[in-house]
Amino acid sequence: MPAVNYKIAFVHLTFKIKQTMVAMLGVVFGISMYVFMNSFMAGINDLQTTLAFANTAHIRVYNDQPPDHTNIAERALKGYPVVLVRDSRVIKYTEGIKSPAPIISWLLNQPEVAGVEPQVNSSVFFRNGGNKVNGNLCGIDVENENKLFKIARFMTEGRWNDLKFRPEGIIMGSILAEALSVHIGDNVNLLTNDGISKNYKVVGIFETGERDIDKTKAYVNINAARQLQGKNQDYVTDLQVNIQHYKETGPLISRLAPVIPFKVESWQEANEGMLSASKLRDIIAMAVSLTILMVAGFGIFNIMNITINEKIKEIAILKAMGFSGGDVTVIFLFQALVIGLSGGLLGLLFGYTVCLLVGLIPFKLDGKEHLPFTYHFADFYSAFLFGLVITLFAGYLPARKASKIDPVTIIRG
Amino acid sequence: MKNETVLKANHIMKSFLLPDSFQVLKNISFEVKSGEFLCLTGKSGSGKSTLLYVLSTMDTAYQGELYLKGELLTGRTLNQLAAFRNEHIGFVFQFHYLLPEFSVLDNIMLPALKLNKFSRQEIEEKAYRQLTLLGMQEQALKSAGRLSGGQQQRVAIARALINDPAIIMGDEPTGNLDSKNTAIVFDIFKELSQSNGQTIIAVTHDNDFAKKSDRVIEMNDGQILF
Ligand SMILES: Nc1ncnc2c1ncn2[C@@H]1O[C@H](COP(=O)(O)OP(=O)(O)O)[C@@H](O)[C@H]1O
Ligand SMILES: [Mg+2]
Repeated sequence: MPAVNYKIAFVHLTFKIKQTMVAMLGVVFGISMYVFMNSFMAGINDLQTTLAFANTAHIRVYNDQPPDHTNIAERALKGYPVVLVRDSRVIKYTEGIKSPAPIISWLLNQPEVAGVEPQVNSSVFFRNGGNKVNGNLCGIDVENENKLFKIARFMTEGRWNDLKFRPEGIIMGSILAEALSVHIGDNVNLLTNDGISKNYKVVGIFETGERDIDKTKAYVNINAARQLQGKNQDYVTDLQVNIQHYKETGPLISRLAPVIPFKVESWQEANEGMLSASKLRDIIAMAVSLTILMVAGFGIFNIMNITINEKIKEIAILKAMGFSGGDVTVIFLFQALVIGLSGGLLGLLFGYTVCLLVGLIPFKLDGKEHLPFTYHFADFYSAFLFGLVITLFAGYLPARKASKIDPVTIIRG
Repeated sequence: MKNETVLKANHIMKSFLLPDSFQVLKNISFEVKSGEFLCLTGKSGSGKSTLLYVLSTMDTAYQGELYLKGELLTGRTLNQLAAFRNEHIGFVFQFHYLLPEFSVLDNIMLPALKLNKFSRQEIEEKAYRQLTLLGMQEQALKSAGRLSGGQQQRVAIARALINDPAIIMGDEPTGNLDSKNTAIVFDIFKELSQSNGQTIIAVTHDNDFAKKSDRVIEMNDGQILF
């Protein structure tokens, strides 16, 4: 293919610069919309994930053994025609994780494990005078918990580390504290399922922004929780495990789950609803931006068709002079390519700028001040790629039409 | 070079099926030698243009055989024919058909740039020489759309000549020109055939123009009269 084809294409592009601009703007708009939508959705998804990780780890190990319904009498009296046991008692063999030390040390030896946090969780009644609220008490190691969940950033009153040296201290969710009308320094009474009750002093209030948490959760030192439950020094109910790459929970779970008699649950499994919501958002973002790109493609298709109709005589002359159908295709396809490439690059820049600008809009949520955006190279890359493919396709159809023009029909008029 | 057969038409026949079936070219055979200045004349509708487009290789829907420069071109692919035209045939049309976005010089250079045999600089020099011969060197950088009809036709001729084609074809190349410009074009054609040995085949309505040429073929109703 001689270079003259590109020269002709270039002259066509620059001669009607306005038309070229309009075609290009379509691509710019489509691509920037794609970048914006996907970065915004990724931002929301990330924010949601962060929120989810504010109180669940990447992997949770807990005892979920169901109560044992085995009918012992039936087993013992096998062969007898009738065995009737009325009102059989359900036996709960185990509760919690009795000796977690070997599991913890195994976990800490795994290369991908970033942290392990033993917890003693239980459901309790919080009482203050006449107020009585059901909630969850979480016994934790103060420093370790903060290392894993960065809980200190949610503190609205008091400091997280204040809990460390206060065996009788408790830190409560903001809504829970309000419901009980307790403030920092006040006492609150806890009542367990086993009927044990004990007083604690409020040393801090936190607010995660997630209502369910702020309404029900309170933290005490892990030993205080064990004491309240009447358990020994080792007892834990949950092991919260964080790994290096939160998405890659699979390998660790497949190594751990078969060898311990406890439930090993990934955050993905625990947050199935959240994950499908974010998948749905991704699909919407994709659909909207692809639609816009299609419209841009249609615009290019139209403009190229108009151009080719206007230049039909010139095309005939080029063919009479010996330019082949392939040359003509190249001339027009190259124009589409230039529009796609330049519109694509501008679109990426413009889209990024729009993200930055919209990212300035104030929006308070979970310690965030602004609308969330997350930039993935893949989004920019595929925006550019989709844009290019659609422009080339939109340019190819008119270009092919142009290449098939019969010069005789045009020239003889 | 002279008196070599450069074009040979063998039993060329062509029919249009639409709007109704009718035979526009009826068994046309003739030969043209190199350096001949040939005019095709005849009544309007006699099939001159149709024949010229068959001879030019642009129209491939015909029966019979067409030889140019000893090569059988009938049955070749469109791409092969395009390449052949580019190198060996120059065109001049009634409505000069320059590309208006390009300068005069660029218009002339296009077929040579397509041929891609010489450097850009060589081509540009040649295009300038061509323009100078035609007394148009002043207009070289003007946009092609800004010229008068006579000037445009001279540029079109310069473009047709850029690759030194063996055959130059024109469909009423002076049909749109006044007598002064017609004379200029005639002189150029005469010069090309006499001193360069290039073959000219021009369809014309102008009897004076035809009379002065080397040979006239008159057509009537799709046939050659003499
Ligand atoms: N594409 C076409 N379809 C049908 N008939 C055509 C077509 N082109 C030309 N004709 C007819 O063929 C005849 C010859 O046309 P043409 O070669 O243009 O004549 P000339 O150039 O001698 O005036 C005319 O009757 C014309 O109407
Ligand atoms: Mg005609």
